[in-house]
Parts: sequence; C-alpha cells; structure tokens
Amino acid sequence: MSPLLHFSEHTLQEAALAFMALAYITRLTWLFHFKAGSDRQAPTGAADTTPRRGILYSWFNIAMPWAMESTRTKMFMYIQFIIFHLGVTAAIGLSFIIPYAPRLLDSRVAAVILMAIIGAALLVGLMRIIRRISDKYMRAISSPDDYFSLLLLTVWFAFAFLSVPNSTAWGEWHLLTYFFLTAFFLVYVPFSKISHYLYYPFTRYYLGKTLGHRGVYPMKHARQSGE
Amino acid sequence: MIVNNGGTENLEITMSSINTRSHKAQKVIERMGKKLNRQIVGSLVACVHCGMCTNACHYVLANPDDPTYAPAYKADQIRKFFKKHYDWTGRVLPWWVKAKSLYTDEDLEELKDTVFGKCTNCRRCSINCPMGVDYATFNRMARGLLVSVGVMPEGVAVVSKDQWEIGNQMGVLKEDYVDTLEWLAEELQEEWGDPNATIPIDRTNADVVYSINPREVKYDPRTISDAALIFYAAGENWTMPSECWDMTNFGLFSGDDDLGGAVARRLYEKVEELSGKTLVISECGHGYRSTRCEGPNWGKLDVKFPMESSVITMLRYIREGRIKVDKSKNTTPVTFHDSCNNARSCGLFEEPRELLNLVCSDFREMYPNRTENYCCTGGGGAMSMSEYTPRRLKSAKIKADQLKATGAEIVVTSCHNCVDGLTDLIRHYKLGMQVTQLVNLVANALVIEKKVMVPVEEITADLAGYRILVADDEPDFVTFVATILEDNGAAVMRAYDGDEAIKMARHEKPDLMTLDITMPGKSGIEVFEMLKKDDDLKSIPVCVITGKPELRKLIYDRPTTPDGYMDKPITEENLLINIRKILKVHHHQETVESKKQI
Ligand code: SF4
Ligand code: SF4
Repeated sequence: MSPLLHFSEHTLQEAALAFMALAYITRLTWLFHFKAGSDRQAPTGAADTTPRRGILYSWFNIAMPWAMESTRTKMFMYIQFIIFHLGVTAAIGLSFIIPYAPRLLDSRVAAVILMAIIGAALLVGLMRIIRRISDKYMRAISSPDDYFSLLLLTVWFAFAFLSVPNSTAWGEWHLLTYFFLTAFFLVYVPFSKISHYLYYPFTRYYLGKTLGHRGVYPMKHARQSGE
Repeated sequence: MIVNNGGTENLEITMSSINTRSHKAQKVIERMGKKLNRQIVGSLVACVHCGMCTNACHYVLANPDDPTYAPAYKADQIRKFFKKHYDWTGRVLPWWVKAKSLYTDEDLEELKDTVFGKCTNCRRCSINCPMGVDYATFNRMARGLLVSVGVMPEGVAVVSKDQWEIGNQMGVLKEDYVDTLEWLAEELQEEWGDPNATIPIDRTNADVVYSINPREVKYDPRTISDAALIFYAAGENWTMPSECWDMTNFGLFSGDDDLGGAVARRLYEKVEELSGKTLVISECGHGYRSTRCEGPNWGKLDVKFPMESSVITMLRYIREGRIKVDKSKNTTPVTFHDSCNNARSCGLFEEPRELLNLVCSDFREMYPNRTENYCCTGGGGAMSMSEYTPRRLKSAKIKADQLKATGAEIVVTSCHNCVDGLTDLIRHYKLGMQVTQLVNLVANALVIEKKVMVPVEEITADLAGYRILVADDEPDFVTFVATILEDNGAAVMRAYDGDEAIKMARHEKPDLMTLDITMPGKSGIEVFEMLKKDDDLKSIPVCVITGKPELRKLIYDRPTTPDGYMDKPITEENLLINIRKILKVHHHQETVESKKQI
C-alpha cells in the first residue's frame, strides 16, 4: 500500500469525519435554536392514537410502503429507494471495513453481497439521473445541488463497487478515488441535501407528534379503491 | 440592520440590500424570522426533491403539463427566501441550492399567486412525503407573511375585515342573526306544537352551547332548524349565544395568527360567560379545526371546557338512546366526502361514517377516502378568491371523477366550505348530484312520536297572497321556480332579462323578487342597484339565485345587500325555506319600522 493510499484510508477519513461531526453539531444546534411549536388542544380522534404512537408510526412510516399512497402506488420507486439507501449504507460500511477490518472481505460471500448491493445501487443511481433529467416535474424542482449530489453518489457507487475486493492488482487508482470521494462527501454533505437523514428524525418526530395527538396517525387503512 | 428571528439568531441584512428591496419585501423577510419554529424549519430544510409528493396534489393531476403546480415546486418559492436569509447553505452558496431573496412587490405578487392560488392547504402532500415535510403548514405561514403587508386576494381582505370588525366571516348583523333564530324557533314550535321546541338564546348553565358557521344564517338556515330539532328530540339543555357565535375562523386561511387567536378567544370567552358545559361545533371542517384544535395555540390559552363536533354529539345521542332514527327515511344513495381539515388535521373520519350508516340505507364509499381523500377544491379559503375560480374548477376534475364513480345521488359532507366547493363543481361538471350535511339526514331520519300534525293545506298554501317576481334568463329554471311557488300558493310573475325585471318590478310591485346575476340586458347587479336606489322599489326584498357564486362578492360588497342568496342548483325544499324566511323576516322588519313610526 502506498503512503498516499494509507493517508486516504486513515488520516484523510478521520479528518473529514471530524469536520462532518463538527458541521452536524453546528447544524443541529442551529435547528434547536428555533423554538418548538406547542399543541395546547385536547386530543382528537380515536383513543388509540396518541402522540407517542404517532411518533413511532411516523418514524417507521418509511418501512411501511403500504402506508402512504405515494409509495403504495409507486412500488418500483420505493424498491429503488430501498436499494439506493442500502447501497449508501454498504458503501459507507466499506469505507470502515477496508481500513479497520479488511479480513471481512476475505469472505467471498460477504464480498459478493456487498458488490451486489452497491452494484444495484449504482444502477438505481443511473436510473435516478435519467429520471431527474427527463421528467419535467423533476427538472422543475431540481437545484444544481440535486444533480451534483446524485451524480457524485453514483460515481462513488461505481468506485465503491470496484473497491470491494480491496485488491491493488491493477493499481490503486480505484481505491484512491473511492477514499478521496468518501472524504469529499463527508465534508460536502452538511452543505447539501444529502444531509436530509440528519433532519429525518426531527421532521418525522414533529409531524408524528402532532398527527398522533390529533388522531390522524397511525392511519387506519380502509380499502382505497372500489375494486 | 439587524433582523431577529424569534430571539434565536441575528441576521444582518445590509443597507445596500435594503435599498434595492421594496418596503413590503423587507418586512416579509424580517417577519419570517418571528414565525419560524422548529417544525417549520425542519420542513423547510428536509426536502430532498424526490418528487414523491407530486401526484398527491389535485392541482398537478388536473394540470399534467404544468410543473409549477408540483407541491415541491410551490414549496421552493418559500424555501428560496428562507434559505437566502435564514439558512447558511443558502447564504454561502445561493445559486447552488436555488436560494433567492424577495426584492420587489412583483415578487410578492408572484408568491401570492402560488400560496393562495395554487394550493388549498389540504395537507395531502404532507401525508405523502416520506421525509415528513409539511408543506401546507409553511404555505399557511407564507400566506400570513403576505397578509401582514397587505398582499392578498381581495376576497381574503374582505372576509378578514368582516371577521375582525363585525365578528363573523359574512358580516351577519346581530339583529339578522337573532331574527333568524327567532323565526326558526317559531317554525319549530308551530310544526311540533310544543313551546319547548325552541332555540334558546343566551341561556346560562346550558349543557351544550351550539356555535355555527355564518353561512348557515345567510344561506342555509335549515341546518340550524335541523340541529334545533335534534337537540329538542334529545331533550338537550342547550343554547346559542346571541354574540360571538361564529365558530369559523378566517385566520386559518389567511395565515393570520392574530385574527385566529382573537376569533377563537371571543367564542371561548362567550362559552365561559354563559357558564356553558360543552361547546358543540356545527359541521364545518375549517371551523372545527380552528376552534377545536388551532384556537388554543393561536390564542395561547388553555380551554377549560370540552369541545366537540356536532357529528360526535349526534352519534352520542343515538348511542345513548336519546334520539331514535329510522334509516329507511333516507333511501337515496349517498356518498361521503371527508373534509381535509376534519380528516387530515383532526382525525374526524370514522364517526361520520358510523352516523351515516345509522341514518341512511344506501351509503357508498368514495375512493380514496378518509385521510387520503382529495380536497373539494374549495378549501383554504379558495371560495372567497374569485380570481382563481377557473383554476379551482379545472382542478376540481379529480373530485368530479371521484364523485361520479360512486354512483350516488347525494354527497354528504361535514363542512360548509365543502358544501360550496362541491356544489360549484357539481354544477360545472354537470353531475346532477345534491350536496347535504349529516345534520339534515339525521333530522330527516328522526323518529319523534309526539309530533303534532299540521294540516296539509297550511303547508301547501303558506305563500298564499304573496306576489313573487322570478327573474332569470333560463326559461326552464323560471318554470321550475314558478311551479314550486305557485304550488305553495304564491302568484308568480316571470321576467327573462334585466330590463324586463325592472319594468315588471315597477309595474307590479311584488312582495319578493328572485334575481339571477348574469342575464342579458341589465345584469342582476345593475337591477339590484336600480331597485335599491328607487324609493318606490327599494323595500322589495331580493333573493339572489345564481350559478356563479364567485360573483356574489360583487353584490355583497355594496352597502345594501340582498335579503337572501342561493347557489344553483337549488332544491324545492331550500327554495321554500329561503323564501319563507325572507318574507317572514321582511314582514317582521316592516312591523318593527311601522311600530317605530307610530
Ligand atoms: S415528497 Fe417530500 S421530500 Fe420529496 S419532493 Fe415532496 S416534499 Fe420534498
Ligand atoms: S397542500 Fe394540497 S393543494 Fe397544497 S400542494 Fe399539497 S396537495 Fe396540493
């Protein structure tokens, strides 16, 4: 391993992680500076809908594709969403496995699973790029950050895919690109929409709390078609 | 200059940017800081532009070629100036995240067009967003910011003014309100032959204080008499306040929390003054949400007494055996439209169904329903914004298709706003359905054994001796109205355009005139003005019956307003109720005036 690759796998990642942690703490401190709105009303709706149940339902809503019309009627999009986010998790995991537990990749099964997940996420990334460019609704709501983040993530998936075997038989370029990209992400993410996962627990918490208190969450599902 | 955003952050807006920004735009930006809370900021920063909410919106579905209707696109029109002034990602890299400030009054007008004219705040996109972005909530915030600098649709300004100054959304004067209640009470007593069948006003220590929507007094008094009948049948100790009785709240639509708080507080204080035990809110989605849920937040107070929707009250009466109903009295196929405010913001969707199944023999579900139902398209105050009517009616195609698919003849809804929105779209898409409320169906299904039968002749001929002029350019409609009135004893004259209407009014001096607004020759508005300026004719009461509700403000903005108003299509029952009410109220006013003169 070259000193550059070693640097990119360790020092660079650690510095980028520290920066990201700092940026996130700043971001959350900023968010918490805004006062939380209160709900003084007495509860409405069915007795089994409470703020607590509403919050839980809201947090896990995303794992219940049947719960929202938007996911229920666009199952293909939902599957893409799952694959894409599994790919992100796998690619992040890889950035820790290679420097700190490379032996895990000796297992052929583990390597194949990682490659399959990241490869599928790469395909989804390409499909999402096409959708964002070709669909006029998506174009209308997209910012440069949206295009850039998606493009970069897709490229990152490609290099993560190539890096799974952790082999330098054809050189170090793919590993170097993967680790430099990972570091770039860690620094860039707090400024971009990719940081949405930081907000997810809060937006969902507050929506769930309000709608739970008002008897809307958890949603009861009557048949939603006349068939 | 320092902008303080709710005491949490100080932002500098430089003098140079102020110099290039209009005063109103500057105020909007500054005031945003005071309105931001954690929930709203979360929703503003969390959108990933995934587009999953796009097809949740009825505007999008009805305008597939126009992406400016997409919820995320609309939300971005607010998000962009939030990012520019309150979020460092937008201050560091504005172009990168599409952050942009507001500079001119034209920018504010554009924003107005989006937040008032392209969204009914129905919250359907909110419950379809995987991130939990609640666009409807910050769209309301943006409305409030614009209203605070006087940028709003004219109808919003007019209605807000009425609610601030007169105390109710439709500017109903106390005398008219009390007169109407007294007249309805008299009718009830006559019909049931029981002096206890009444509408108690300002009774103290009542178990139920009943609050209503001013639309009921003005256009739909039957909902009040039906509610009174139900309370009577249940043996309820109830009352209606003589003042501060309006449970609607335009603050919800205009985003004006001060108005919202003031209106809610008035009603709460009235209930306390009367020592009422429970506040019952008649069927109105935004009224229920405002009074029951948002009022305590806007007014920053804790309400000590319980509040409930009249739907829950009626259901309770049946469950407790206090009233008996017979569903075979309502056999026409009905469907139910969930009001967005009731279903998506207050969790009120099972009770109306339970009640419907108890009082109707043929209830057909509409799909999608409950929290997933589509807006009636008249929500968010849309019915008062006539400039957006064509847009509203175009987006109503989705609702029209939903209604049609049910095969029902009547659509029931627990919301007065929805009644207006649905009536308008039913007429526009020629669906031939009627719109009604649960209170009407429950009253119709009531089984009251001690009913004193009124001789048939009295009912059928109670307009005997009255001379009524019907002015409308649709011959079929004139025939329809004339037949009903004649069957009930009135002598009817017919006019088919404005000039003829004026001529006949001068010649015949009718006791009442029904007037269409859009007619050839002189329009109904011109006819109305001429009548009211003519000393000989100004005392003729006028009931406007129009197929264009968006024109109603043209006539209601005048110093003298008509004595009654009805939207087409009308039913026989509604026509008679309105005509009888006008004649009775008119007679009552004449008596008072002649007494004063004596
Ligand atoms: S679904 Fe939510 S995150 Fe996606 S575009 Fe709509 S508001 Fe934004
Ligand atoms: S709140 Fe309703 S009308 Fe407004 S954008 Fe969302 S779905 Fe459309």
